[in-house]
Amino acid sequence: MTQNRKGLRSACKEFEEDLVLYYYGEWGGAELARVEGHLKECVACEQFLEDLRAFLPLTAGPKEQPKTFWDSYFKEMQEKLEVFENRRPWWKRLLPVFQPWAVPVLGAALVVIIALSLTFTKSMRLKSRSSSETLPAEVQTVANNMDFFQSLDLLESIDLLEALDGAHATHDGARKL
Amino acid sequence: MDYGSPSNVRDEELVALCQRGERRAFEGLVGRYMQRAYRIALDFTHDGDEAKDLSQEAFLRAFSQINHFDGRSAFYTWFYRILVNLCLDYHRRKARIPWERAKAKEEESAEAEEVPDPSSSADQEAIAGEVKRKLGTALGALPKQQRTAFVLRNHHGLSIHEIAKVMETTEGTVRVHLHRAVAALRQSLAELA
Repeated sequence: MTQNRKGLRSACKEFEEDLVLYYYGEWGGAELARVEGHLKECVACEQFLEDLRAFLPLTAGPKEQPKTFWDSYFKEMQEKLEVFENRRPWWKRLLPVFQPWAVPVLGAALVVIIALSLTFTKSMRLKSRSSSETLPAEVQTVANNMDFFQSLDLLESIDLLEALDGAHATHDGARKL
Repeated sequence: MDYGSPSNVRDEELVALCQRGERRAFEGLVGRYMQRAYRIALDFTHDGDEAKDLSQEAFLRAFSQINHFDGRSAFYTWFYRILVNLCLDYHRRKARIPWERAKAKEEESAEAEEVPDPSSSADQEAIAGEVKRKLGTALGALPKQQRTAFVLRNHHGLSIHEIAKVMETTEGTVRVHLHRAVAALRQSLAELA
């Protein structure tokens, strides 16, 4: 038995921490077997463990409170929770409505709405731009009558050819004379 | 009184209901954990009124932050973390635990309640009282991390794994804190002897 000068017994230094954890039931398997094997062989460690068993329970907390104490504690807690909840701003009280699954769903819905609105406003803008870019009515009329002008050109060309043809004929007659 | 907590409903289900705005579900969690919460606070403060205020404040904080609870740990480890942090803040404010005053008060009430044991002598009682007082003083003087690890393990039966989650540290660190706390408490008794 190893006993220090002040009456408390010392354990083997390398086992001291293991014995504290053994006292608290923290060991299992191979570690437990190792500590228990050592305890069988070492009187000092066995007595160290006895010391722990003797003094550690003395540090335990105070005694049980009576049931009336817990009844009043619980009632107070209910009142405090109610006051706390009522003091929260309205938007914080709405937060639980937004469940975790709803966040990505709402996010995706928002993205779709933005994409659709962008697409539609773009096509409407293009439509309005194309309508604003239409030719003036006079020009449009002229453009529609392009065939008429082309046919007039053709007529002019025919007149010219006929004139040329007439001139040739006069020239040939003169030469014959 | 069942304190609004049917035993067949799991914590996770109550938390889910709270997150949907059901205050009554949170009251169920209060009913389930109020005794442990109060005792943890009492272990840190050694003052019944302070313990009640701190533990109730921890519940209110948990209620206000319930939507941030992601379920990666058990509800009670998440809640104990809030509570322990509040207790440690209380300690920082107070600088020192009024342990001796509280312990004296506790002993007074214990004396009043206990029926004297005819087999125990006055000397034995005095020694037991002195041992308790020494241990109490030593516990109050422990560094906060060691005291937290010790109180959660010794008084409240949390596993090393759970304490590591509450203290946001590794299991190895908790083991070291626990061992050092026990060693310091033993040392306080050695001085008594």
